[in-house]
Amino acid sequence: MATPRPFFLKIRGRLSPEQCMYALVLGVFFLLITCPLIGLGVDLLYAALKGNLDLSTPFLLSSRRLGLLAASIGLAAAVAFSGIVTGVLLVSLLWRASRKILVVVLLAMLAFAAIPPYIHALTWSSLLGYVTGFLPGVPVTGWGISYWVEFMALLPLATLLSWIAFASVDFHLVEAGRVFRPDMETFFKILLPLSAPALGAAFGFLFLICCSDYSVPSLFGADVYALDIFAQFSATGSSALASLYALPLMVVTIIVMIACRSGIRTLAQTPDWLSARFGTAPRFPRFFVGLQAIACGIIALQILILFSGLILTTGTLSTFTRSVAMAHGELTYSLLIAAGVILISLPLALAAAYELRQPGLRGAVAWILVLLPLAIPASLTGIGMILFWNTPGLSMLYPGLLMPILVSVARFAPFAAIILFVQLRFIDPILFDAAAVFSRSRLETWLQIRFPLYAPGLLVAAGILAALTLAELGATLVVAPPGHGTLTMRIYNYLHYGAAGEVAGLCLLITILTLMAGACTIATLYWLYRGPGRAPEPDGRKSE
Amino acid sequence: MNKIRTIQILAVIVVLAVILIAALVMLPKDQKKTVVVYTSVDQVYSEPVFRDFENQTGITVLPVYDVEATKTTGLVNRLIAERNRPQADVFWSGEFGQTLLLKNESILAAYSSPSATDLPRQFRDPEDYWTGFGGRARVFIVNMDKLTPDQYPHSVNDMLDSRYPVNTVGIAYPMFGTAATHAAALYSYLGSEKARDFFSTMSERQVRVVDGNSVVRDLVADGQLAFGLTDTDDACGAVEMGKPVVIIVPDQQPGEMGTLVIPNTVAMIAGSPHPSEAKTFIDYVLDQKTEDSLVSSGWIQIPSRDVPTKTACMNITGIKVMDISYQDVYTGIPATQKDLIEIFIR
Repeated sequence: MATPRPFFLKIRGRLSPEQCMYALVLGVFFLLITCPLIGLGVDLLYAALKGNLDLSTPFLLSSRRLGLLAASIGLAAAVAFSGIVTGVLLVSLLWRASRKILVVVLLAMLAFAAIPPYIHALTWSSLLGYVTGFLPGVPVTGWGISYWVEFMALLPLATLLSWIAFASVDFHLVEAGRVFRPDMETFFKILLPLSAPALGAAFGFLFLICCSDYSVPSLFGADVYALDIFAQFSATGSSALASLYALPLMVVTIIVMIACRSGIRTLAQTPDWLSARFGTAPRFPRFFVGLQAIACGIIALQILILFSGLILTTGTLSTFTRSVAMAHGELTYSLLIAAGVILISLPLALAAAYELRQPGLRGAVAWILVLLPLAIPASLTGIGMILFWNTPGLSMLYPGLLMPILVSVARFAPFAAIILFVQLRFIDPILFDAAAVFSRSRLETWLQIRFPLYAPGLLVAAGILAALTLAELGATLVVAPPGHGTLTMRIYNYLHYGAAGEVAGLCLLITILTLMAGACTIATLYWLYRGPGRAPEPDGRKSE
Repeated sequence: MNKIRTIQILAVIVVLAVILIAALVMLPKDQKKTVVVYTSVDQVYSEPVFRDFENQTGITVLPVYDVEATKTTGLVNRLIAERNRPQADVFWSGEFGQTLLLKNESILAAYSSPSATDLPRQFRDPEDYWTGFGGRARVFIVNMDKLTPDQYPHSVNDMLDSRYPVNTVGIAYPMFGTAATHAAALYSYLGSEKARDFFSTMSERQVRVVDGNSVVRDLVADGQLAFGLTDTDDACGAVEMGKPVVIIVPDQQPGEMGTLVIPNTVAMIAGSPHPSEAKTFIDYVLDQKTEDSLVSSGWIQIPSRDVPTKTACMNITGIKVMDISYQDVYTGIPATQKDLIEIFIR
């Protein structure tokens, strides 16, 4: 009788320990991001076999649902496009910024990206209420105001993503263009086309986030398809039926993400994430300078309205300290969740990023598995987690403290994988070959070669993971263990109660914490790589 | 980078990882006396009840709260998803529709609490799967700066009155929460056709439909709406904060239908991990003293029995209550929600 031993000896002969580790890490990554889908899929199958479902639901869209879907796509596309255009104009100003100013601006964008969109909505709603006292004709409901507030809420993230896109372009090419042509022509004919694939990917991210958000539009009376999904979910109590209703929206978002993926794969330049840009400041024509000024005005307005709204509503330092004291448990737990998501997601996402580079069917399957979780609405992700983990054999983790971490990993680790994929495409593999020849140990290779080369992508991915995790509510609420809640849950509880001061105080706290975390990370990286052991230039040369 | 720096980096990573794992793993496990309560009652009201219960009984309460922003889909659907392996012991809701849904889904277990013997019959499920107590009423919150007393609304039909300009009247989405329960009650009382006409006209009149009762309260208090339909706890909150608002109980005239009073409901979960503690908690919540404390805190405005504390923000004496059966209301909810989704989400 055959025994397992020869089989495993054969495997060991064919696979190195590194390959086994890679396969294991990859398996864990894909399991963690697809477990909600698996849970929902099994539930759907079970309901279908019992005959409880009308499987034609996603295919026979009524005119009402078609209209909602079209409106949602239109709103998301408009918000994403406006965000990218404004982000590009803002980032074009950062061309001549020093590294310090660049870091401050990017940290600020990251901090504001961590504030839930609903808070932006309430701040603008209050402002509009105040303005209508003087100007009664100002619209306070409808698609226009919904578009504006959604755009404001996503603008910090759009700016961050636009900067990543611009940083992906080798500025030597742009400088070469500037020698022969005016700066404006260089901008439109060299910089924009080279950054266009990454900008397309950024568009896809923003489109995805906007499509699945109903909190902002519903506050301003604009009904979107995501709200219809939840209305059906609430009416039926059936996750299987809600999954069917969500399918058309998921198909649309997956198509958009696949289109963006094509753009990401064409990237071919070297990123210079945090270097100073150009020796001479670019000279743009007046109309472009005017557009840049408008973009600056918009972001300044966004920051002013949000920050002043939060500060004014908080009122006094005692309100702020009281809200922090009352929420210290949620604060600690939220920070632990964000740290846990980063620690778990980044190593797994790095392995997934390598898999995304594989050609042919293997790479295509990896891309599909990475993109699918992005299309599932938050509450359904949470329900899917319960259906998967609350089963005999897997129940040791549910409903434990790790569940909110795992649900955020399921939702956001794909973003980290895509960011790191972009990073990997810019690293010359010859550097790793040289390290393998000259390094004394694997640990030394990792610490002195690989980690510094991965560091910029890891940093960006960590920041975006932290921001998205801190603002996450829909899925976390469903899996939070009894007796524990996050800061965002406390904020929404206070919102309902009407404790506006405490809500504003906690939102300010999130902003401050994100700024501090980002600053600490940047400072740590500078401390690690200052002096003789400085980080090498992206092409492997050490800077003088 | 030299060896010392390498060691420093490793040390920092190891310390961080240890702290994180220790913080996550070191939670109070295997509490001998614990009860897990899933509640849609606002945290600011339910938390003091939990603390008092813990102090009196020594049983630790592990609560799971709901938030209005997720339209109550989170909690109830979590309970349904956990049905094969329940994590909750008790479900305490601020209304009855979701409780009846859970009973229908066989999520609840029957328990007849001795604390419920003095509660009115209509607040107790015939099969003892749930028990209701003190609640809230559906009321108008009116901005006194926007409307003079002779313009105040007095019936839900006034929401369709053309004397109120477009977009100055508000309700919460009638597919979620207590607004959904109220809508189902109207369908039950008026009949499907009349109720459908009512809500269709409301949509055509561009009554502003917003995210929740608290949003209605805030918009009226801010002056963005002239008046809106909300719950008494939200309305009283605005009064207590000194906002320029007044509370009107609708449909109180002779021949009118009265207003909906929505009781709290509490129920035990079938297969709960801590059934004994669950019963102790249910007995505590249904006790008259707890109801009195909830009136005092502002969660309950319409107590189900005579309690020492009186509602301060409004006069509840002689309130005319809508004469409907909770079971009939619940039975009509799915069809009502289907109608209202078609009317309001487009």
